[in-house]
Amino acid sequence: MRKTPLFESYARCGARVVDFHGWALPVQFSGIIEEHTATRTRAGLFDCSHMGEFIIRGEAGIAALDRMVIGDMVHLAAGRCRYTALLNDSGGIIDDCVALRLGPEELYLVTNAGPLDAVTAMFDTTIPGIESVYNRTAKLDLQGPQSRQILLELGLAGIAPLKYWSGTRCEWRGAEIIVSRAGYTGELGYELYLPAEMAADVWDAILAHSMAVPCGLGARDTLRTEMCYPLNGEDVDESRTPLEAGMERFIAWETDFPGKARLLEMRERGGYPLLTPVVSSDRRAPRHGFELRLDGRPVGAVTSGTFGPSVGRGVALAYLEAGAAVPGTCLSAGPKDMKITVAEVPVYKGGTCRVRLD
Amino acid sequence: MNPESLRYTMDHEWVGEQNGLCVVGITDYAQEQLGDVTYVELPKIGQRLKRGEEAAVVESVKAASDVYAPLSGEVAEINEQVENETDLVNRDPYGRGWFFKLKKYDAVEYAELMTYTAYRAFCQGR
Repeated sequence: MRKTPLFESYARCGARVVDFHGWALPVQFSGIIEEHTATRTRAGLFDCSHMGEFIIRGEAGIAALDRMVIGDMVHLAAGRCRYTALLNDSGGIIDDCVALRLGPEELYLVTNAGPLDAVTAMFDTTIPGIESVYNRTAKLDLQGPQSRQILLELGLAGIAPLKYWSGTRCEWRGAEIIVSRAGYTGELGYELYLPAEMAADVWDAILAHSMAVPCGLGARDTLRTEMCYPLNGEDVDESRTPLEAGMERFIAWETDFPGKARLLEMRERGGYPLLTPVVSSDRRAPRHGFELRLDGRPVGAVTSGTFGPSVGRGVALAYLEAGAAVPGTCLSAGPKDMKITVAEVPVYKGGTCRVRLD
Repeated sequence: MNPESLRYTMDHEWVGEQNGLCVVGITDYAQEQLGDVTYVELPKIGQRLKRGEEAAVVESVKAASDVYAPLSGEVAEINEQVENETDLVNRDPYGRGWFFKLKKYDAVEYAELMTYTAYRAFCQGR
């Protein structure tokens, strides 16, 4: 298994390590519910160094990326982040990613670990001026209402002016780093892109703060599921289009992208299945693969499901027939006819991610 | 209960004899593997269980699994507290985290269960 620069640091924090897309990563430290709650109320620190980072330099490269993804990369303003997706020729989702426009001629792109080798090969042959930097970059996410205070106390002044979905390059602890405020938990939070050799010191410095708690993939999953953010490889893959995945608002229809003709046709015809949140009537969770039924008739299946600690119920994402994907609809799930209800996005509504800061 | 005096199954349930009844729960290894337990469903009092039959359900944040009857018998008591305070399974698996008690249980099947030493070796081999 591949290891991130923080592998040794996990052990000291009591991590239980699992294989995630070939990476040895912590699934939990103190416990998923405790880590989840710490992130919602204080701050959780996540090692996301397994993810892919690329720098694209030059307008030609940015334009080339623009033609591969659903969003408008060309007109993305400097300092802004944008969630987007990389499509195959039939409009299927190869990967979902976050783009950060660092400047007029420079764009930073963050991708998932699962399809990373394939995506790297694709970029290398298609995008001029692209450089993969993930082998020397550590990504640390500090998420939670106290995240800003902790980083400011540690002297990371560069985050002070950041609005939701923006980012910048800045100096910190004698090095040049990139920071953004995007997140995957629903809470106020920051992503730090650091030279790999800095990672262990920064991990220790953040965790020395009484408000910060180390968190694993388990809590990351419960937090994102409550927010209804899809997970690549679980909820979205090449068999699903951005329309089905609920990403229509991220599609810049005036730009060109692979599979555009098919997506236009789908949109015109309508009636496609939609990735939809559902919640259970109790603490049991609908799990991956559970069939969902409306009056006994199959209308879809769960792609990811878990107990949601902040809502105290089972929460899941499922592809549902258009007619069933209506909030309030009662369905039965799985072999034991669990009672569930179609919910609105997000399931957890108390998140601090959009908080305005002065 | 003292883990050393209990008997065990390969599905990580423990069984202990107490006042003529068999107390059943899941082991420390099982709760450790499951992580935070979020839901427990117990059998009904009076239900007759055959060895290996589905007797209870335990769900954690990450997974759902069935608990099988370690031996045949009739459900005499259930631990209603653990249905409401599911983290007792994590905090005290051999004590307040017990699941149910069986009466009229099969003594031969009880004798066939693993001893503490055998179970410990079984877990280490995994």
